[in-house]
Amino acid sequence: MAILEKVDKLHQAIAWQGDIPITNRYTAGVAGERFLREIKDHARILGTRCPDCDLVYVPAALFCERCFAQLDEWLEVSSQGRVFTFTVLFRDLEDRPLDPPAVLAYVKLNGSNGGLVHYLGEVEPDQVFIGLEVEAVFKEASEREGSILDIRYFRPLKR
Amino acid sequence: MGMRKVAVVGAGMTKFVRRALETGKELAFEAAKMALDSCELTLQQVDCVVHGTAPDAFDGVHMKGEYLADGSGAWRKPYTRCYVGGGTGVFAPIHGWYHVASGLFDICLVVCEEKMSSCQPHPQGAFLTIFDHTTERPLGPNLLWIFALEMNRYMHTYGLSKRDIALVSVKNKRNAADHPCSLLGDREITVEDVLNSEVLAWPVQRLDVSPVTDGAVAVVLAAEHVARRITDKPVWIEGVGWNLDTTYWTNRDLCYPRYVENAARMAYEMAGISEPRKQIHIAEPYDPFDYKELHHLEGLLLFDRGKAPEATALGITQRDGDLPVCPSGGLLGVGNPIAAAGLMKVAELFWQLRGEAGARQVPGQPRRGVAQAWGDLMQVGTVIVMGV
Repeated sequence: MAILEKVDKLHQAIAWQGDIPITNRYTAGVAGERFLREIKDHARILGTRCPDCDLVYVPAALFCERCFAQLDEWLEVSSQGRVFTFTVLFRDLEDRPLDPPAVLAYVKLNGSNGGLVHYLGEVEPDQVFIGLEVEAVFKEASEREGSILDIRYFRPLKR
Repeated sequence: MGMRKVAVVGAGMTKFVRRALETGKELAFEAAKMALDSCELTLQQVDCVVHGTAPDAFDGVHMKGEYLADGSGAWRKPYTRCYVGGGTGVFAPIHGWYHVASGLFDICLVVCEEKMSSCQPHPQGAFLTIFDHTTERPLGPNLLWIFALEMNRYMHTYGLSKRDIALVSVKNKRNAADHPCSLLGDREITVEDVLNSEVLAWPVQRLDVSPVTDGAVAVVLAAEHVARRITDKPVWIEGVGWNLDTTYWTNRDLCYPRYVENAARMAYEMAGISEPRKQIHIAEPYDPFDYKELHHLEGLLLFDRGKAPEATALGITQRDGDLPVCPSGGLLGVGNPIAAAGLMKVAELFWQLRGEAGARQVPGQPRRGVAQAWGDLMQVGTVIVMGV
């Protein structure tokens, strides 16, 4: 198509419509199943420790990616930690304004070398800073279904 | 050509199953760890990692090569994923081979994984979109169409019956009964079972086809000077070849896979093989459908065109025949986690040529084998010749 015939609006273009008609049904995996069950049943976050590398993986992993040891030392890590980094979201996935804006953070959990990416709640975006101490807020036991969203969000630790 | 000799020094595989609890990462880890343990290497001794896996849509993870990297042992290592569709499983070790043959790396871990059970309602849904979106997809095609059209053409050209072809499925599913990782091994299966199975797309019936499968396989490659320190039984990669036919499948000669012949000739020349029928002792051709084993045996120049079915009927391709074909049990018997299935053939040659195949061991101390896979848009051939 020549540049002079440029179509500005996509719905005006002659097009062939198509999609890929599949959905996916994943397994949580050997480690992932135990990790999610613990959140669902006990509102606790589990990690696995590699004794050789002295690392605690969160979310719990079946193997150490550094030395390839199979990990069988499971431990509960704290549901508290610190904001390692964060962002404030102003648009949703459909490009609509998010009001109020949402705060997304990578939370390093105490007692682990890892952590979780999750939303922050009960806090204004301008109150969030790197190093902020936070804790996980779990849904009620009856609402939990074995999902990472069983953690409602992390909120600033109350002292 | 100034290339270094490369050996396979270790191999490992998971069970091939319909639906694994393990994630793709965990499957890859299990196979990779087993391969390293088999030759007493640690991950730290691995210089680079090659991953092979088929369409992202199967696992339902885009950029799944990256997703699978940690399970494949790629942490802080040079890592690449290669992909030629169904041909990937034999191409991945070729990819690893040129990393080592070139002198760039001494030890390369090659891992292939597939978790097809994630894909719902069926992986055929992902295959729908390999077709041309305007001229073919409106017809609602799936892979079985292509195979049915190709199989019918093959049967017509050489005057073959369904029974001639069903013998392949029987042989491979029986062979697989001796494989500890197999999904569909069946010592009791008969030709009548295959001929009486449900017709999916004539002439393709249920038992002519390999199953949807989850699984992973890994092998360890090493340069000659390292390989000789690791093991006293290295299995050398003597030749590699790969070749592509026209993308548009109606422009192909459906009864003969010329691209497989070209790939085989490339590999045979590198291996110094002038008479493959005498110099190849075991063949592991790609057998996602029973007629494809026959097709590929002819493309590999191991039988005259249209004559592989007769050889099968005569028992030549049985495990104790003159040319054992798919002694592993192949995709029809062990299972077909796409890329992992191809690498399983390379692992099978490794075990067979070392005399470590247990109940599957072909007699007579075979010294050289060929493995082949096929795929992409049904037009790629990938070939490896291995020997001791």
